[in-house]
Amino acid sequence: MNPGLNFSLTPGFTPMNLIYMYAGLGFALLVLVLLSKSHKLMNCLSITHSCVYLGLTLYALLKIPVPYVWSSYFYIDHLSLYEALITAVSFLFASLYARGYVESLMETRELHRKNLKIFYAAFNLLLITATIAVFLDNLALFWIFTELTTVCAAVLVAILSARENIDAALKYIFIVSGAMLFAFIGLIFLFALSMQAPGTEGTLNWTLLVKNAAFFSPKLLSVSFVFIFIGFAAKSGVAPFHTWLPDAYKKAPSVSAILSGLMQNLGMYGLIRVYAIVRQTEAAAAISWLLIFFGVFSIVIAVFNMLSQKNLKCLIGFSSVEHMGLLLIGIGAGTKAALFWVLFYTLAHSFTKEALLFAAGILHRQYRSNRVERITEAFRLQPLASWTLVLSSAAILGLPPFPMFPAKLFILLEAARLSQPLVFVLLLLLVLAAASFGKFLIEALSRRTPEGREQAPSPALPENTLQPYVVRPGMKIPMVVMLGLVFSLGVFFPESLENLLNSIVYELGYI
Amino acid sequence: MITPGFTDPLFLEGAVRILFVFVLVTAALVISVRNLASLLTTYTVQSLLLTLIAGLLYLIEGSPVLLAISVLTLVSKVLLIPFFINRVEAKIKISRDMKFNYLEPTSSLLVSIGLVLLVYVFLSGFVGELALGRLFFFGAVIGLSLTLMGMLVMFSRRKVITKVLGYLTMENGVLLFGIFVTELPFIIEVLIVIDLIIIVLLTTIFAVGMDSTIEEYRQKLQRLHIWPGREYL
Repeated sequence: MNPGLNFSLTPGFTPMNLIYMYAGLGFALLVLVLLSKSHKLMNCLSITHSCVYLGLTLYALLKIPVPYVWSSYFYIDHLSLYEALITAVSFLFASLYARGYVESLMETRELHRKNLKIFYAAFNLLLITATIAVFLDNLALFWIFTELTTVCAAVLVAILSARENIDAALKYIFIVSGAMLFAFIGLIFLFALSMQAPGTEGTLNWTLLVKNAAFFSPKLLSVSFVFIFIGFAAKSGVAPFHTWLPDAYKKAPSVSAILSGLMQNLGMYGLIRVYAIVRQTEAAAAISWLLIFFGVFSIVIAVFNMLSQKNLKCLIGFSSVEHMGLLLIGIGAGTKAALFWVLFYTLAHSFTKEALLFAAGILHRQYRSNRVERITEAFRLQPLASWTLVLSSAAILGLPPFPMFPAKLFILLEAARLSQPLVFVLLLLLVLAAASFGKFLIEALSRRTPEGREQAPSPALPENTLQPYVVRPGMKIPMVVMLGLVFSLGVFFPESLENLLNSIVYELGYI
Repeated sequence: MITPGFTDPLFLEGAVRILFVFVLVTAALVISVRNLASLLTTYTVQSLLLTLIAGLLYLIEGSPVLLAISVLTLVSKVLLIPFFINRVEAKIKISRDMKFNYLEPTSSLLVSIGLVLLVYVFLSGFVGELALGRLFFFGAVIGLSLTLMGMLVMFSRRKVITKVLGYLTMENGVLLFGIFVTELPFIIEVLIVIDLIIIVLLTTIFAVGMDSTIEEYRQKLQRLHIWPGREYL
């Protein structure tokens, strides 16, 4: 790491400029959103925002030599760029989808036009905070930005200002922020620990902590990790801190659900970073088992809640608890290969879940409900959304040729090195998860018009009940393209992605 | 001017210990009091105690960060946040939070005694590694206990405003724990307070929403001058 060398390699566009541009352009676009007067303009600005961030991140990945430490607050490495990339792509698709979806929410008077600006302000602010967060070297600053993402995401959840939305948003804030206070206690421990390294003052800079980890007392480091784990686990929706998640998914509009779901990655990112510190000490073995225990626990809780699930978005919510569990097992396995696939899993899961929620959003527009009993004649009314739902369900369950398949397979293989019975239990649980998705899909998608309605249309029933909801192209295209992206990731593993993941694994100290 | 008697470390340490007891009393009150106005007063007193503790620690240790924390706590948690919550409480017209989930106040208090003991035993295991003096060890115990008691309030109370006060109590606990275990850079303390203020603002605005229908909610927000609202096409 030589800052001087970096300067000479890319004159004019240094890593510092990258951070400035993320923050400067982000806030400039946010101000424009606040000044704009029409939905179209706000939406276009949000799309531009995501595109700008995507462009910056791709440029940085290709051109900027990383890892790079800047001014003891910022740190850019391949992992932060990778997370920023996932965030930018997901936001781009979400902002494209939002145009039609939000318009439709306003037509049905579910979203008040007065709240539109709050929606887009929170949307853009969430993108800024979630992106800057991953470039912070100082863990306390990362903590604060993570808290800010919670606040923005909660605003998005509460945006419909119906009582149940606000209730879900409050639950989200109280559970996640309350747990994050415990993470802060963990950081205080870590700060006290950092003084144990010879010749260092107290620091919370990740780069220094990783470097000095060998000097830390394993016992105290474990305690610190446990506290930090509580906070980040709540953020990523790991059981038993997951209780906010199904509510937020169920009651929030689809776009908000996508974004608050995306913030789960941030919790996992924090855990990966802190685990990289612990991994170099004797505390690693105990902490690995802690992660695996909570991973299995999450999967068990999620699967048993999925089995009798009648609400589509709730089903997706619990399925994401299950995936977080599997990610924890992958991190806990602690090997190079496991981390590699954990990273790939994060990407595949984010995109697949987004496609799934896009489809669920369209079905919700059609039936005004996510309940299974309200969905009838889905293939006739919404063929595209139904097929997307089926295919992305297959993808999220990890069926080949979708990308979750190799990711799951290799994480399980790595876990098998630790304990084979564990893997058998996990496989059984995954089968149950697949069964619950299958049950839901068969029940929902095979239902015909309720008996009696076809013969005698009663005046009590609204006539337009079974009229297809006209889906705007702006909602279909992101859905189809996202599914296409997921599919292509499954059949073709680009070499550049492989190199990127390998560099992340190397930079995190897994040699 | 501070007379020499007041700067005697033994006297100051004794004073801090007495304040610890008061902090625990306020925590017990936050768990058990039903009247929202008294709850807010309790929180304000608790924050004031923290201000005093940080101030006394500054006299013992002489670190300017502690003085800054003391002033920051005074401004944000004794003045600003209680003022805002008071304003919101006046609007939502609920004066008492009678309902408790899972735990009644008496059992909550018993549980919190258990928590304090547990924290004591737990932290005793690390006192050597953290190199804390007696006073600092007690500060850490009280801080962590306060956090857990705040969590208990968030669990066992129903009304949003009470939950907010539970969250604030938790945060006070973290602050206390922080100043006794180590000395965090001041910038981080400032950022936490900003984070706290944002969360309090947002949750209390939501609290107004939980208490009213959507139409009333908009009107109330307009009356509070929080969001004027315009229609965009």
